[in-house]
Amino acid sequence: MTKENEVPSQEPPAVQPAATLFAVVELGTTSVRMAVAQAWAGEEGIKPLENLQQALALGKDTFTLGYIATGTTEACVEALKRFQALLREYRVPPANVRAIATSAVREASNSEAFLDRIYIATGMAVDLIDEAEVNRFTYLAVHPVLQTVPGLRDGETLVVEVGGGSTELLHMKQGNVVSAQGYRLGSLRLRKMVDEERAPAPRQGRILRSHVDRGVGQIRYSLPENQNAVMVALGGEARFAASQLEREWDKKGLVKIQVPALAKLTTELIGLSADDIVERFHVSFQDAETLGPALLVYTRLAEALDLRAITVSGVTLRDGVLAEMATHGSWTDEFKQQILSSVHELGKQYHVDVNHAEHVAYLSQQLFKAMKDEHRLDPRHELLLTVAALLHEVGAYVSTRSHHKHSMYLIMNSDIFGLGARDLQIVALVARYHRRTSPKASHVEYSVLDRESRVVVSKMAAILRIADALDRGHVQTQRDIDVSIRKGQCVIRVKQAGDFTLEQQGLREKAEMFEQVYGLKVVLEEMSDEVALGKG
Amino acid sequence: MAKADSRFINRELSWLEFNQRVLDEALDTAVPLLERVKFLAITGSNLDEFFMVRVGSLELLTADGVTRPDPSGLSPSQQIDAVVARVRDMVATQYNLLSDLVAKLREAGIVYVSGSGLSPAQLVHAERVFDEEVRPVVSPMAVRSTDEFPALQNLGLNLAVRLQPKEGSTEQRYAVIPVGTVLPRFVSVPAEGGVVYAGIAIEELVRLLVDKLFPGETVVECVPFRITRNAAMSVEEEVTNDFLEEMMRLLAQRRTGGCIRLEVGAGATRMLVQFLRKGLAVPDHGIYEVPGLLNLATLFSLVSLNGFDKLRYETWEPQSSPQVDLRTSIFETLSRRNVLLCHPYDSYEPVLRFIEEAADDPGVLAIKQTLYRTSPNSRVIAALRRAAERGKYVTALVELKARFDEARNIEWARELERAGVQVIYGVKGLKTHSKVCLVVRREPGGIVRYMHFGTGNYNERTARLYSDVSLMTRDQDLGADASACFNAMTGYSEPPSFLKLSMAPMGVRDRLLERIRGEAKRAEAGEKAVIMAKMNSLVDEKLIEALYKASQAGVVIQLNVRGICCLKPGVKPYSSNISVVSIVDRYLEHSRVFYFLDVGKEEVFISSADWMPRNLDRRIELMVPVDDTESRQALIAILETYFKDTAKSRRLNGDGSYERIQPEPGRKPFSSQEALYIRSRKAVDKAEKSKPTVFEPHRPPTAV
Repeated sequence: MTKENEVPSQEPPAVQPAATLFAVVELGTTSVRMAVAQAWAGEEGIKPLENLQQALALGKDTFTLGYIATGTTEACVEALKRFQALLREYRVPPANVRAIATSAVREASNSEAFLDRIYIATGMAVDLIDEAEVNRFTYLAVHPVLQTVPGLRDGETLVVEVGGGSTELLHMKQGNVVSAQGYRLGSLRLRKMVDEERAPAPRQGRILRSHVDRGVGQIRYSLPENQNAVMVALGGEARFAASQLEREWDKKGLVKIQVPALAKLTTELIGLSADDIVERFHVSFQDAETLGPALLVYTRLAEALDLRAITVSGVTLRDGVLAEMATHGSWTDEFKQQILSSVHELGKQYHVDVNHAEHVAYLSQQLFKAMKDEHRLDPRHELLLTVAALLHEVGAYVSTRSHHKHSMYLIMNSDIFGLGARDLQIVALVARYHRRTSPKASHVEYSVLDRESRVVVSKMAAILRIADALDRGHVQTQRDIDVSIRKGQCVIRVKQAGDFTLEQQGLREKAEMFEQVYGLKVVLEEMSDEVALGKG
Repeated sequence: MAKADSRFINRELSWLEFNQRVLDEALDTAVPLLERVKFLAITGSNLDEFFMVRVGSLELLTADGVTRPDPSGLSPSQQIDAVVARVRDMVATQYNLLSDLVAKLREAGIVYVSGSGLSPAQLVHAERVFDEEVRPVVSPMAVRSTDEFPALQNLGLNLAVRLQPKEGSTEQRYAVIPVGTVLPRFVSVPAEGGVVYAGIAIEELVRLLVDKLFPGETVVECVPFRITRNAAMSVEEEVTNDFLEEMMRLLAQRRTGGCIRLEVGAGATRMLVQFLRKGLAVPDHGIYEVPGLLNLATLFSLVSLNGFDKLRYETWEPQSSPQVDLRTSIFETLSRRNVLLCHPYDSYEPVLRFIEEAADDPGVLAIKQTLYRTSPNSRVIAALRRAAERGKYVTALVELKARFDEARNIEWARELERAGVQVIYGVKGLKTHSKVCLVVRREPGGIVRYMHFGTGNYNERTARLYSDVSLMTRDQDLGADASACFNAMTGYSEPPSFLKLSMAPMGVRDRLLERIRGEAKRAEAGEKAVIMAKMNSLVDEKLIEALYKASQAGVVIQLNVRGICCLKPGVKPYSSNISVVSIVDRYLEHSRVFYFLDVGKEEVFISSADWMPRNLDRRIELMVPVDDTESRQALIAILETYFKDTAKSRRLNGDGSYERIQPEPGRKPFSSQEALYIRSRKAVDKAEKSKPTVFEPHRPPTAV
């Protein structure tokens, strides 16, 4: 019997999943939640499978007590253990599970102890994410949805999420991020302020309104005049309002709700006790407490912007985290573009020499690519280096003397969309070390970094120095360079014939750090025509 | 039925009307004899439960002095009066019928012999049975005074014996003989003279030979009796919603267990009855003198006698629905289409296969399933065990509180646990009544979820007797909802907002109100508006009020409510557009199907929930939209079939009475159940015919 004629085996073919399962756990303000989803190799998009949530007073503890109480911690452990049972059912590999915590944990005085307890009890390492990361995930979640509606894709949008501790606002134009900012206006913070006044119940509504209006006033003030944005509301409270007001909403996509109707619902909710809300609307007690204040912020903001309707989206932060996990944490070109667009806005604000900045960025990228085997850094770092190159001279806005130091703190205190605190610190230090002293243990900002980050800063700053030196004249003459590593030398050949004196001098001043870091001498050569034409 | 000015029918009286409709089937001479006996038995067992639970509650409330009226305007004591009057009437009908049926059975060769009617040969046999089997297990208990009456088993059969006073005394002496539940109800005796079966009731046998139990004494009187205890407490969720607070307080005091009904064989002396009444502390209105066999429910044992098929309905074999090809994988079928089955006409086999295949399929990761009442030796249980043993994650949500089934449930639940199934014993404070099975399967294209949603329990036996609907699907939104539903029930997550499903106690009533009001709005706007709904009971005040409003707005409302219906149909001005029918036939109507016209949309739902407060507030129930066109149209056709019934359909009148719907003169009565059976058969025939008639030769395995 030949092979081809073999009777097929009765066994079903081994199932080889082309789909991968991911899960994200979020320790949020009023609850812990988990989303399980699947993504397919080589395909865009990620499909949700499960959404779980357990009410938990994390935000209430943090924003009223200042710390997370033991009872809450243990309830959190219990909830996570149940989530883990479901993860086992789906056989989600532990590497594909990401746990994050937002402001409710971040701002607790005992956040470290809390996270340690979670780790000990469940083995889950929870990442504390900061506002910038929240913005990044929000963007990743909301961007694909906005793309589906031409008006939102091509117009201006204000993506608003009212959390327990703060309100996050993402301002976008034609799909590009204009700014990302956080305001200390949160539902639980508001509730605490109202409670502290110990006013009788009827007056509480008025007090709440005055606090909200003050906060909304600040937001309004920080937004450009004459902006004509569509407001896109995210968050559990917004989703609640949408499902109350628009019964037919599929709870996934976008839905428009009328501001007067929202205002009416909000007034009704503010007039009810949390117990009544639980009874009437079947929500958890934790959610019941945040509904009124959060919806009031959305309402008043919409009214302040003269909007008749707002759009609510069913996406959540977890969708953003999942999207990032599905692309293995790498930033999409799309997303890099958003970061760079935000960086350009910042550069403009500080009057940087755009041509020089961009040329240095370009040269840095060339060097970074050529030096791949030497520095062994990933593409994320290339982007951070680019950002540092684009912003290395922002400090000159303050003063040209020691402008590298000014650059450092300006960057560190800026909101760059998509970059978290750690990323921002690396960028700031790379910019700082683009000239003068190389890193020293006495530099506080540098010494607080972990060893890995310190090395990263040195590697990138060394490259930035060379790139900067190559445009010493701020005239962007050498468009093309060719970098090769041979016999302990880093040979940079530039195409343009002529006078290198300025660059040679710059290199003499700036190559020292490079030589220390990489153990390579930098040699500048003129590129012959054959080489330039690819014949050599 | 109710105070004339009330807009509601009293639920207890409405229930009694339902029992009357069952009794009407027993009275119907067109129904085969043994089926009539069965219907009579059902009315008996129904009444037992009604007394324990419903009358039990009313007794507690009355004793507590509660006088507040229910929505029909009747106070608890007025309800008791009305119930008692109605029951007495019904009992009289039952026993008249019984003697009639006994005579008919005799003609058919099934003889129920009384003690005096035994032939000498039968007497010899009976005596032997008494000596060998009965005497060792019955023990008379002397009752010296009514204050120290022995504790007797609820619903058990007993004999009360009065003995001759001792010489020189006038003091009456009494004894009680509990016959218990160990002995069979009927003892077979040799059949003679053309008779096929002969038997004597156990209490008759004991009565006949009672002297043997009291050697040296003279038995003056020996009468069978049976007591019913107040069991309102055992079914907390059954508590009358109208008196929820009072009842919860009373239940907390555990003032239940008292005797609320005493049934005594007719002919007992007044003296004996009074003795029992005092000893058992039964209220006067709880005493029923019964002219015949006590405990009609035990007639079931006659119904299951072998043979006598001519005395039963002709068999309607469940059909193998052409939607499912049992030779291929059910998962493959479901990847092509949804499957909608109408049991018992469509066989339950695909549902069982679904669970069994899931247990054996290597790609299946998890099976989650609710189990309410299941049959012994259930294939469902076996499949779940097997799945767990194969390393799949199996979760079974077992409801132990299923009425009077608790002991049996515990047994197989333990069995599942031993096999590694994660067994969850219900949800605190809520009875899990939803019927859903979720299979999570890993396929080359990713995780796919398959579901079965039903209106009936996962019970192969009742699936042959109850009309229920099954929906099998891999709809993604329903999959997400089914997962969410289990996550909620297992405590993994709070109930989320569902995409398509509604879940009681959070959402079903609201969703229904929304739909009813939606139809009303459209009717007001001059659009066509129709609601059709089929359920077992309609009690919920909020829903009834919404239906009244919808009727006034001009919505045409057709209801098919098998059991209790507190809505008053056809009353001006509030319910002129509402009509209610009830169908009681060979199969127990059990499916819940709701339809809202919403022009252009035609929404249809199937559900595990009746429109009763207990279902909507104190149970976990599901309401599932059926939104694929084929299944939806099929369900609409099924709903409509019932409204065409002129054979077994009764119309509810505004005063709470029911009347049979007659066929138009000269037309044959139309039976909806028969029509549905024929529909299933035709579907099979059609599928057979459309099969390609190409022979498929068996080829040698080497062929290309």
